[in-house]
Amino acid sequence: MATTEAQTENPGRARILERLRTALRESTPRPPGNGGRKIFAPVTDVLARFQQECAANITECIVTPDMQSSARAVADLLAALPPGEIFVQDSSALRRLAPEWQAARSIQWSSEGGPKESAQATITTAEALVALTGSVLVSASCGGRGASVIAPVHIVIASADQLVPDLDAAFALMRERNTAFQNSYVCLITGSSRTADIEKILVMGAHGPIRLIVMLAMRQE
Amino acid sequence: MSNAAHEFLRSAAEKSADLTHRQIIRRGIDSYNTANERGRSRFLDWEAARLRCQEIKWEAVNNLDRYLLEFEQRVKDRGGHIFWAENSEEARQYITDLATARGVRKVVKSKSMVSEEIHLGPALEKLGIKVVETDLGEYIVQLREETPYHIVTPAMHLTRTQIAALFKEKLGDVDTDDPQQLVAAARRALRRDFFSAEMGISGANFLVADAGMIALTTNEGNGRLCTSVPRIHVVLSGIEKVIPRLQDLATLWPVLATAGTGQPITCYSTLAGGPRQPNEVDGPEEFHVVLVDNGRSELLANVEEREVLHCIRCGACINACPVFRTVGGHSYGTTYMGPIGSVLTPHLRGLNEFQHLSYASSLCGACTDVCPVKIDLHHHLLHNRRDAVNASDRPWSEQIGFTLWRWAVEDARRFRAAGWLARLGMRVMHRLRLDGTLLDPARPWNRNHAATPAPAKSFRALWGKQNGNN
Amino acid sequence: MAKVALFIPCFVDQLTPDVGLDMVRVLRRLGFEMEFPEEQTCCGQPAFNTGYWNDARPVAERFVQIFRHAEQVVCPSGSCTTMVRNFYPELLAGTQWHEEAIKVGQRVFEFSEFLVKVAKVTDVGASFPHRVAVHDSCHALRELRLKQESRELLRHVRGLELVEMPYSEDCCGFGGTFATKFSAISAAMGDAKAGYAESSGAEYVTATDPSCLLHLDGILRRRNSKVRTIHLAGILAQTAAYADRRTQAATTESAR
Repeated sequence: MATTEAQTENPGRARILERLRTALRESTPRPPGNGGRKIFAPVTDVLARFQQECAANITECIVTPDMQSSARAVADLLAALPPGEIFVQDSSALRRLAPEWQAARSIQWSSEGGPKESAQATITTAEALVALTGSVLVSASCGGRGASVIAPVHIVIASADQLVPDLDAAFALMRERNTAFQNSYVCLITGSSRTADIEKILVMGAHGPIRLIVMLAMRQE
Repeated sequence: MSNAAHEFLRSAAEKSADLTHRQIIRRGIDSYNTANERGRSRFLDWEAARLRCQEIKWEAVNNLDRYLLEFEQRVKDRGGHIFWAENSEEARQYITDLATARGVRKVVKSKSMVSEEIHLGPALEKLGIKVVETDLGEYIVQLREETPYHIVTPAMHLTRTQIAALFKEKLGDVDTDDPQQLVAAARRALRRDFFSAEMGISGANFLVADAGMIALTTNEGNGRLCTSVPRIHVVLSGIEKVIPRLQDLATLWPVLATAGTGQPITCYSTLAGGPRQPNEVDGPEEFHVVLVDNGRSELLANVEEREVLHCIRCGACINACPVFRTVGGHSYGTTYMGPIGSVLTPHLRGLNEFQHLSYASSLCGACTDVCPVKIDLHHHLLHNRRDAVNASDRPWSEQIGFTLWRWAVEDARRFRAAGWLARLGMRVMHRLRLDGTLLDPARPWNRNHAATPAPAKSFRALWGKQNGNN
Repeated sequence: MAKVALFIPCFVDQLTPDVGLDMVRVLRRLGFEMEFPEEQTCCGQPAFNTGYWNDARPVAERFVQIFRHAEQVVCPSGSCTTMVRNFYPELLAGTQWHEEAIKVGQRVFEFSEFLVKVAKVTDVGASFPHRVAVHDSCHALRELRLKQESRELLRHVRGLELVEMPYSEDCCGFGGTFATKFSAISAAMGDAKAGYAESSGAEYVTATDPSCLLHLDGILRRRNSKVRTIHLAGILAQTAAYADRRTQAATTESAR
């Protein structure tokens, strides 16, 4: 097998490391750093900021009173989509909400495998929501890698207590939960897929979802 | 003069005279500037962000061996493979061997400048493997059989009319110059490739040591599909891309996005650190990271130039460069164009062959001013020039010229006499209307500038007259 | 008032002596006593920028020795000021003149910088009834961090209308030996810049570096442009009583 061979026969590794160590015997002066100057203005109202950023980055953020209301709002959204299956992350929370959707649409659960290309929408949870940039943090635990990128519509079911002010807080949370070690994949999603490669003109929906929808319930229940 | 220098001069002269090119690039850069300015205003203190990034990259580069090993260990813990390639050849070989062993027929690629650097595409194609670029800009230049014009916006030299004609010819199912529909056509075509490819190849914006994950940013989502759908994911990265901590991305991600495109943060800021884990829904069965040295360790050994390894490939210096805007990205004939390319290429590919790039700059310093990690770019160009001279690698005429120059300026009387003679010569040329002709020693100047008669008297002569001495 | 030593760059001495004379005229009007150290030739920048540091070094040492006793040194070029203040410390590192070079560098000032920051003058009593745009010369802008100084001086000139040209911070393309080694690129950059100057509606484009202006002047005239170039000192030298023959000629020409 080529890989095993390559793994065992990688003489370059020792040689590169040796060169790096030799080179680093001579040091360069440490740059001044920023002396703790604040880089971003602190986010005070996380909800307001998140909504504002979503509007700017073209995420549809819909605030609902509770999870059941979110589920009903999602049902309305699904009704407007073309026929085809809906992919849902298999979690106890989403299992509870699924009856609202199952009547009208056929559901594929993430426990049955990744989303198919034919999926019309994917519904997942998130690890956290970042107010500073209006971003959704997902990991492989949120229905897998394809769950947030393959279908034309990605719907995130979240609650207000998942809001964190900024990226520093998001990474602190990841560290606390050991997210990077329990997942092989993490993605900070900010708005829906886009490109400006043709004459710098912004076009939505390049390879990923054309719509990113965050159902933000004020209560966790 | 090297072949590369000849080709550069030829191509640069051609593009310099191309006013349509000038206009297209000006428009593209204008829209970048507007977005970038808005992006920077979102920071409370952009300078503090730059200083922080500079510090992070300094720490990473000055402990490169340690952080690479930490990264390697954590990737291995998840069942990933790491291959250390000393040069292009080794990196290509590893990937082509892997593709052959796994029976790969099609590869989808997310943007990777290192893959351009090591000429991976042609190597795979030689084995009969189809290679598809999936970043829209890269896809367009691939269809045109060109190299990327710019590291961030590979197709910025093309108008939508040109792209429409290209798609009509190559894809067939689209006949419009509406960007929305052009993008939709590319999406349809590339979807088929994503789901039929056995291997996805991506670059990495950062290698995060404490997480053992690569950080990859794309707006289109192509990077996410390349790393999620195919059976094998191969990451190609320069060794200098490592950063110490996940937390560092809290600054680096927004800074990279703002410097690159003016966005607050790129749409998909992705972290991937291994194959699909036992408890996970999907993902590749195999995960390989190819760490490429290819001259970088030599740059590390050069203490004066070491900070060039801090580069995060945002392209800001390229956008700011008036020479780039004039000659265009293809004239350089290198993977990395613009100021960073002119600084880096002589180190990666030889000072002898590529020193002309260090000279092809007016040293205006706009690059240094915008660099988000504060690399002193235009001063490194000066250092490269000095090294070229010290290696006696410059034309004889120039070497003799500066010896004569020094002889003249080391003595005020000689300087005065030399100046008088030069002015006399210039006046005679002008009188005979020979400025700019082949007989004119100042032809390179005079053929582009309206003739100006040299003054009869120097400042020192006039000063002497005014002040009564002389 | 302290005596001012004149640092007249080699190409100003030989090719644009008027720039030096205009600067002298302004300084004299302000009551400065001046000296011109006749031993001076060149600061060494051409060799330094081309990589010939070993040839530039003795020339720089020579400069330091000539100007080491001057209290204040004024130069009508941001680029040559940069060479002394910003590049000498690196060029002369490890030589016996290193410390002295740093001290001299702190006493060398670009002309507009000297007027505004050292002499604290913004109104030099000049009169120049024309529309003028400023080109920000690279070394003054990015190495010396000068931008507002020249504008501040121009705002106080009688009859002068200051306009901003688009991309005023873009390099004009001169770049020393770059202009001859890569003449096609240099000329195209100058051509773009000339276009920006024309679009501003200015009659004159001014700058703190005569080298940029020498380049732009040649390009503008080749384009048969109506826009003329004039060094900042050339504007500040003119008063209601004294208008320069050059600008008079240009004015009548453009009026025709």
